[in-house]
Amino acid sequence: MEGKVIVITSGKGGVGKTTATASIGAALALEENRVVVVDMDIGLRNLDVVMGLENRIVFTVVDAVNGVCDIKQAAIKDRRIKDLYLIPASQSDNKDVLEAEGMIKLCGELRKQFDYVIIDCPAGIEKGFQNAVAAVDEAIVLCTPEVSAVRDADRIIGLLYARSITPKLIINRIIPQMVERGDMLSHDDVVEVLSIELLGLVPLDENVVVSTNTGIPAVLQKNSPAGEAFQRIAKRINGDVDLPFEIPRTNRGLWKKLAQKIGMRRRGA
Amino acid sequence: MKDEKRPVRLKGVGDSLWVSIDPTQSIETLKQELITVFQRLGHLTIQAKVVLDLEDADGNYDSLILDIRTFLKETYNVASVLENDKKAKTEKKAPPPLPDWDKKWKSKKSDVLFIAGRIRSGQRINARRHLVVLGDVNPGGEAMAGGDIIVLGSLKGKAVAGQPNNHDAIILALDFKPTQVQIGMNVAVGIDTDAPQTAEFARVEGDNIIVEEYMQANPFAKLHWPQAR
Repeated sequence: MEGKVIVITSGKGGVGKTTATASIGAALALEENRVVVVDMDIGLRNLDVVMGLENRIVFTVVDAVNGVCDIKQAAIKDRRIKDLYLIPASQSDNKDVLEAEGMIKLCGELRKQFDYVIIDCPAGIEKGFQNAVAAVDEAIVLCTPEVSAVRDADRIIGLLYARSITPKLIINRIIPQMVERGDMLSHDDVVEVLSIELLGLVPLDENVVVSTNTGIPAVLQKNSPAGEAFQRIAKRINGDVDLPFEIPRTNRGLWKKLAQKIGMRRRGA
Repeated sequence: MKDEKRPVRLKGVGDSLWVSIDPTQSIETLKQELITVFQRLGHLTIQAKVVLDLEDADGNYDSLILDIRTFLKETYNVASVLENDKKAKTEKKAPPPLPDWDKKWKSKKSDVLFIAGRIRSGQRINARRHLVVLGDVNPGGEAMAGGDIIVLGSLKGKAVAGQPNNHDAIILALDFKPTQVQIGMNVAVGIDTDAPQTAEFARVEGDNIIVEEYMQANPFAKLHWPQAR
């Protein structure tokens, strides 16, 4: 059976596309899938750093598309997680070096070898975005609960629909305290404007900063609410559509405080 | 070779027969001439519409027309005989005919772009005249129209009505929270986005755009009878 090509995109930069790509890729691989993550942010590569594989890069996605090397040479195997591979972006080229035809061919070959091909899309809607979505089967739109991110996500959703791709939504960096105070858009507000299927809610989590800096995926960290949220998202992508959503909440109330004290910390995510 | 001007001449105009007669001739002469002309038409005269043209003749010829009408109806079985009265057209304009509303709308062609769905950020819908959206206009989306804009949903983007210069246009939304509205040459920003969901509309008064609750203002209820926009 052929694998699925999924792009993770957002329009706006800095909402957590790269972290989400690494986390979802790792979580899917932990569920016994053969996964390759492809960094399409050519010229500004980050995914290799987030996954802790930066010092093992020999060939890049540009080499793989242009036939300088074959896919096996370009795909770097993660040593901690079985069946997780990374095809890194080139840091010295720019986004114009690739054409959509090349990406369609590459994705066609990756589909045969992997169960999931997760593409990290660059910010923006120009050539880099066009190349990244050229051959995808599914799209995940990442959005933070900010007006600017929602606006850009909306634009991206329109562009994806124009390509007959039905996107799903992940809302990242939810701060429950701010939502409760009314200082932040709630996930309902975001879903109301974007009106696409929700795939997951990810709370803001300090562990993510640590994991991006150390190169250890958030899903491998214990007690990371964001990591657990990404694991649930991976389960939903993997076909567990009935998994209920856990809405990030603050740990208030007598029983929760009591439970925290005696060590039964219940994390919302 | 020019024909001498005959007292009765006939030509087909549209779906009717146009008969020019010289009313100064006697009724007998005219009948004779009519027979010669209509004989040639054969069955085409049956249920035909006939228009009598008196060719700018002065004076009153009502009895003559009446005679010819009965004559043509009886002999040739025509459907109707009408008088082409140019004077009536030019002079008798004074009392305007009462509008027949049932029939008036039949000839009215719709000039509305009626769409369902969501106008997302970066998308722009441009209507030649009126625009009706069954759905929402998201922040960053644009609805543009030559006439009115009606949004049956949330208007959170930009609405540009009455382009280029129609200051009578309105913008109506069931949830009126646009980032900007323009009507004709007027621009308004800073519309309260925290207001509760109510049907509001924007219109031009003087050089300003005024936003009012639609059901309270109910601006078109004051019109005397229905009008096409």
